[in-house]
Amino acid sequence: MFRGKRRAVVLVAAVCTGALLAVVLLAGWASGGSSGVSYLDGNTNAVLYAAGHRPLAPDFTASTLTGSRLSFSSYRGRVVVLNFWGSWCVPCREEAPTLAVVAEQYQRAGVAFLGVDVRDTTASAEAFVRNFGVTYPSVSDSSSQITLAFTAAVPVSGTPTTLVVDRTGHIAGAVFGQATYSELTAMLAKVTGKTAG
Amino acid sequence: MPINLTLGQVSNDFMIAALLIYSLSVLAFAGDFAFGRPRRAQATAVVRQAKDRAAAMATVGSASVSVGSVSVGSASAGGASVGGASVGGTSVGGASRAGGAASGTGAGVPETASGRDSMPALALPPLRAIRQAGRWVQAAMALAAVAVTAHTTAVVTRGFAVHRAPWGNMYEFVTALTCFAAIFFLFVMIRYRAWALGVFVMGAVVLTLGLAETLIYTAAGDLVPALQSYWLDIHVTAMTVATGIFFVSAVLGCVYLAVDRYDRRVAAGKAAPGNGIVRRLPSIEQLDRLTYRTVVFGFPVWTFGVIAGAIWADQAWGRYWGWDPVETWAFITWVLYAAFLHARATAGWRGRRAQYIQLLGFASLMFNILVVQVFIAGLHSYAGVS
Amino acid sequence: MTDVRVPEADPFDAAAQERDGRPPSPAAAAPGGLGLAGWLKWAWRQLTSMRIALVLLFLLAVGSVPGSILPQQGTDAAGVQQYYTSHPGLAPWLNHLGLFNVFAAPWFAAIYLLLFASLVGCVVPRTFRLVGSARSLPPRAPRHLTRLPHSAEYTVALGPQDAVQVAERALASHGFRLRRPADGGGSPDAGEPWVSAEKGYLREVGNLLFHLALLGVLVSVALGGLFGYKADRLLVQGSTFADTASQLDELYPGRLVSDADLGPFTITLNQFEASYIASGPQRGQPSSFDAQISYTARPGGPVGSYRLEVNRPLSVDGAKVYLIGHGYAPVFRVTDARGQVVYNAPTPFISGSSGNFLSEGVVKVPDAQPQQLGFTGIFVPTAVDVGGVLQSAFPAADNPVVSMIAYAGNLGMNSGPSQSVYQLDTAGMRRLTTSPQVLQVGQSLKLPGGQGTLTFTGYVPWVSLTITHDPGQIPALVCGIAALGGLLLSFMVRRRRVFVRARADSGGGSTVRVGGLTRTDASGGFEAEFASLADELRSAQRAAAAGQAAPQPGSEPGTEPDSEPDSGHSQHEGK
Repeated sequence: MFRGKRRAVVLVAAVCTGALLAVVLLAGWASGGSSGVSYLDGNTNAVLYAAGHRPLAPDFTASTLTGSRLSFSSYRGRVVVLNFWGSWCVPCREEAPTLAVVAEQYQRAGVAFLGVDVRDTTASAEAFVRNFGVTYPSVSDSSSQITLAFTAAVPVSGTPTTLVVDRTGHIAGAVFGQATYSELTAMLAKVTGKTAG
Repeated sequence: MPINLTLGQVSNDFMIAALLIYSLSVLAFAGDFAFGRPRRAQATAVVRQAKDRAAAMATVGSASVSVGSVSVGSASAGGASVGGASVGGTSVGGASRAGGAASGTGAGVPETASGRDSMPALALPPLRAIRQAGRWVQAAMALAAVAVTAHTTAVVTRGFAVHRAPWGNMYEFVTALTCFAAIFFLFVMIRYRAWALGVFVMGAVVLTLGLAETLIYTAAGDLVPALQSYWLDIHVTAMTVATGIFFVSAVLGCVYLAVDRYDRRVAAGKAAPGNGIVRRLPSIEQLDRLTYRTVVFGFPVWTFGVIAGAIWADQAWGRYWGWDPVETWAFITWVLYAAFLHARATAGWRGRRAQYIQLLGFASLMFNILVVQVFIAGLHSYAGVS
Repeated sequence: MTDVRVPEADPFDAAAQERDGRPPSPAAAAPGGLGLAGWLKWAWRQLTSMRIALVLLFLLAVGSVPGSILPQQGTDAAGVQQYYTSHPGLAPWLNHLGLFNVFAAPWFAAIYLLLFASLVGCVVPRTFRLVGSARSLPPRAPRHLTRLPHSAEYTVALGPQDAVQVAERALASHGFRLRRPADGGGSPDAGEPWVSAEKGYLREVGNLLFHLALLGVLVSVALGGLFGYKADRLLVQGSTFADTASQLDELYPGRLVSDADLGPFTITLNQFEASYIASGPQRGQPSSFDAQISYTARPGGPVGSYRLEVNRPLSVDGAKVYLIGHGYAPVFRVTDARGQVVYNAPTPFISGSSGNFLSEGVVKVPDAQPQQLGFTGIFVPTAVDVGGVLQSAFPAADNPVVSMIAYAGNLGMNSGPSQSVYQLDTAGMRRLTTSPQVLQVGQSLKLPGGQGTLTFTGYVPWVSLTITHDPGQIPALVCGIAALGGLLLSFMVRRRRVFVRARADSGGGSTVRVGGLTRTDASGGFEAEFASLADELRSAQRAAAAGQAAPQPGSEPGTEPDSEPDSGHSQHEGK
């Protein structure tokens, strides 16, 4: 009479154990990609957001390295390449010449380049700008508020990060890590509709 | 606040006094062994009766009770308290044992004739039991009580001298744990009439305290900031109290093993039965039960100490468990004592093997205090010992 | 409550307990082998046996030992590296066995998972059994109560029915659950009233609660590991940082944590102060340190200020921020060959093992023209010259100096792998200064060949913060407290049964027998309770007898009850 009950109890116990093990051994599964995201050439570091799925870039006002105030909203209506960099950052230094070239190439297409200098000091940042002949302005993010604001929209998890903001002020593409010439130009071509001119 | 050096000196003086009086009490306990009132014969007689009883017993409810289990329960039936049969001497123990035997009538003994009540004896009040145990025991208990008072005073004044709980470094920790061990054992002796074990436990206290005074003495001083938290009082207090309790368990475990070894040698014919010291000690079952009860007392305190330590670690270091060496060894100690508690419910692991596990647990506790905290670098390195 | 089914395994049945404790041998199998199901069942019975639980506990203890002796990857990565260099042959083998990361190793996980499987397999059936036994009644009183381990026998001047009723009332007042002959099933001895009483179910409740709570702790730890994170950040006085991935020095996210889950708070270190004991035997030991910080929980939110101390973390935005350590960051200004100021910043130096916060650090100037510059050196808070060697005599900055060596060349920063901020790779550089140059505050080091100047302008403190978020923390605490409660309950409560039988006497009274039985947990202590209980029952019955006899004035002397209240007490005096 009790055998059936015992079997049921054992079964329940086994199921509980199995469920418990499953919970504890839950391996990290990749979070489902949000729709509207595609990768450039299969490179997961370079992300394109389809129109309608583009996060809004937050506005900010900050001081440039030269001391003047700059408001990001003043760039509305233009395509902006926003580059988070630091003079201490090796990949930033490696991509700096590329950024300079692309900036110059897309200047006639009306694309603006803006740098955000993170975890840096003025003297080092100015020396970097001098050294690499950076022609576009950079703002100093010493309070890390700009990084914080953009992290809400796009995972700015490291330095360098380069964002391409479209004319409506939405983030159309992002390169997480060092940007290559082909990535940047491909992205800009898609967003502006124009090739390097 | 500056250290109160006068009080620190007072603390030291009381500590030395305690050490001396403990030694005297140990001598008195030993004197009881040598010169004290003779004890009644072993509870082995009671155990035999109980075994007979169990063999003839009808089923209780739907269960049949095995011999081994009943013998443990009924060994106590002979006396109103653990150790009552063989410890506590004279007429009381004898009467309660005999009275119990009459009440728990063995097989073959007819039911009591009407008009004659047969009731289990009510426990004798402790002071009367001590008085009846003889002069040596009276002296030893009095000296132990005085020593414990002096020891406690020493610890308390040290606390006032340094304006914090007096267990912030190794020396203070050892003096405090021996104090808790002595207080706890005093309570055990009175509750269970276990003064035959006084010479061993108090002797161990004297030894440990003496070593602490000579080897690791640290003058009263301040603490590093990481230790300035009220969680210090809670966590380290619990650990100190638990260590004191486990200290007593460990000594009792050693006594158990010694008696067990003697019994086995007697059974194998290698030793003469009737050794004077063993005869005055509680029976092996009573020792086993006493050890179990002390571990049962200490285990929740240790568990609480670990939890409190986890809360404190979260406050100080940002995580409640990080497998820091001291944390790991506290965990190992906990697991070993848990194994001891499980072993007593597992066939083949009761008795001697369980005591080995318990002593292993205490060894890991000592290893934690003496080796891990001092030599293995970690977040816990606050022993204050260079 | 007429369900008189006895629970499947009587907790007083030691034989059954023995069966539970011992893993069953497969020899009791059906002929022709067990088959897969049979083997699985056997394996399950093995796993849930006490003996295997004991073995697993041992393995858990033994397995933790290397985790405390050897340096572990998670807490002391540098120590692991050192171990590799000092034991080049042994280290790779230890690594294969997972001994440098014991507590995350699969074999360690296997031990505690098996232990918990065994636990669940034991606890669930026992829970069913407890519910069953709580719903059923205590067993019938056995016939020969005097054969029980604890028994008492006495006479009272009450009829058997009344005597048992008085006993029932007394037992019920102590909280015992009762069973009378009327509760189903015919009594084997009609005419001899009896009552069974049982108490102490809370013991098993406590036992199960304890074990289940341990399970809860495990689940909470897993929760924290999945959804929590830990991060480190070194913050120089005057600087600000936000809790976002790029602003943190180290980030250890849980498996299911993405960067977006980090809380958007910001912290500024306004001021840090440390004080040290200036004299006495503990000179040099820190007496206090605290950091004044201001913080916002979200961008644009209100600014709060807080005094962050050791043991006093900041709770913000679901995370906790801890002050872990501190140090010195000397401020350097570097001008290059062209006279431009190319570096002007506090540079965190890390204190080593030399004591008293003698710290080492590196200055990298990658944008100096025409050549990149690099400096290594030490910062000494209270500098004393001991036989030509600079040492620090006190952790406070009473006499701060730096001692620097200068390099020029290629820092290796323009391409290639990322570098540590605290280490200088001099492979592509040549040394400019022949010996270390000692500088006091305000002094400059002129580099040879007009390469530039390094000026030591001052110093500021830095703090190291740890940010943690652990959603499993509170559940783990609750489960820990529940475990403690269950433990105390299971140790303090004892499952016991008491039986009372009364047989009519020739003289109009009855002989009452009381028997008691306790579960074989072998810790003793029931005898005292039984003795006092038996005494109380007898007193109650005799009082009731006296009450019965009293309202009858002028009764015949012969019918007076004979009981002498002291006949029992004489038993235990001078026998």
